[in-house]
Amino acid sequence: MKNKLKFLSYILVLGLLQATALDIFKVFNIKPDLLLIIAVIAALRYELKWAIIFSFAAGFFKDIFSAQNFGMNSGLFVMWGYLVYKANKEVSIDYDLIRLALMALVTALNFIFTQAILVYLGNYIPLGVFLRGIILQVIYTSLAFPILYKLIKDE
Amino acid sequence: MSKLNKKLISSVVFVVLFFFILSWIPYARPAALSVLKIPLYIFNGAKRELAGIIFYHRNYVLNGRLTSENNLLRNKFNTLNEIYLENARLKKLLSFKQQSSFKVIPARVIGRSMDSFASVVIIDKGNFNGIRRGMSVITHLGLLGRVIESSKDSSKVMILSDPSLGVSGVVQRTRQEGLVCGTLGMYLIMKYLPQDADIRIQDRVITSGFNQAYPKGILIGTVVEIGNEFSSLGRYAVIRPAANLSHTEEVLVVVP
Repeated sequence: MKNKLKFLSYILVLGLLQATALDIFKVFNIKPDLLLIIAVIAALRYELKWAIIFSFAAGFFKDIFSAQNFGMNSGLFVMWGYLVYKANKEVSIDYDLIRLALMALVTALNFIFTQAILVYLGNYIPLGVFLRGIILQVIYTSLAFPILYKLIKDE
Repeated sequence: MSKLNKKLISSVVFVVLFFFILSWIPYARPAALSVLKIPLYIFNGAKRELAGIIFYHRNYVLNGRLTSENNLLRNKFNTLNEIYLENARLKKLLSFKQQSSFKVIPARVIGRSMDSFASVVIIDKGNFNGIRRGMSVITHLGLLGRVIESSKDSSKVMILSDPSLGVSGVVQRTRQEGLVCGTLGMYLIMKYLPQDADIRIQDRVITSGFNQAYPKGILIGTVVEIGNEFSSLGRYAVIRPAANLSHTEEVLVVVP
């Protein structure tokens, strides 16, 4: 239980960092999605029940700061948590490179889904901004993933 | 009941319950933000110090540039102040109705949306300080956005870069009207301009004041590009926002 509380505190700290200090490291308005990373780490490390709970907590934290009329991130993060957990059960994700590729895939899909929801809600997003955003987001989040994975694993 | 049926029912119950929870999240947001206000203050303070160390040289150069600019502006201000007083005297002479200047509430940005394209900022003033949903938010440079949610001691401001926020604007030089929207990028777009619209690069765009949402005459930005819409029915203008949308620290909430 102590470990789980510790993991929850990671979510809180990373969420606060993402809302404040990470602004310094923005590149073209893009910053790494630390909460998505921690949701994926939860799915790789814990059993299904806790993977879902932690993914939901990370998504909920992100939703607190968003302007959407429903818990878009909570829903998406739980979905990614569940899918990563299932993928981890089906194929062994033990290699760093495979984990990195998985993180990149989840980041890209999450970006596409969130932007698709925004377009569905009637917002106009230029194609150039979308493409630049998805490429940078995938690279930046994937680069931050091994650091966080190692930090949390070493604890 | 077979095991498969039980599993199916529990899955359906889980999905229904989950979507119910998702729909309730927006109602839980103000309370959650109030709880997070103090940690946000602490993290934001640490961020400011960190940024000061990282960008020391840039700040040093910027300081020199701003000091000389400040001296120049002081000089200009004195001249303009004379013109302002003269204008007030002449208006009085002509019995013009005085335009009421608006009241503002200063606030500090304590957090930003976690999405990469920051379109929402959290400020440290709320209902308790007189801030209400729908109020305009400005900086000393120009229009920043609008309050979309307000709890007791914090508020959420949607900034101009969000595509769902539209502002009625006019070109200051020609009074040409258009709708200014965000693009999630660094620039804004002014839409619905007629083909023969008199608009040029470097024209300044200000709020029109045609509706009650934004006070009249607040600077939105400067035109940097003009193009034809895909349908060829009209033109659009790309606008560089006057306010720094991604790095604003202090804002002013306009009380109508």
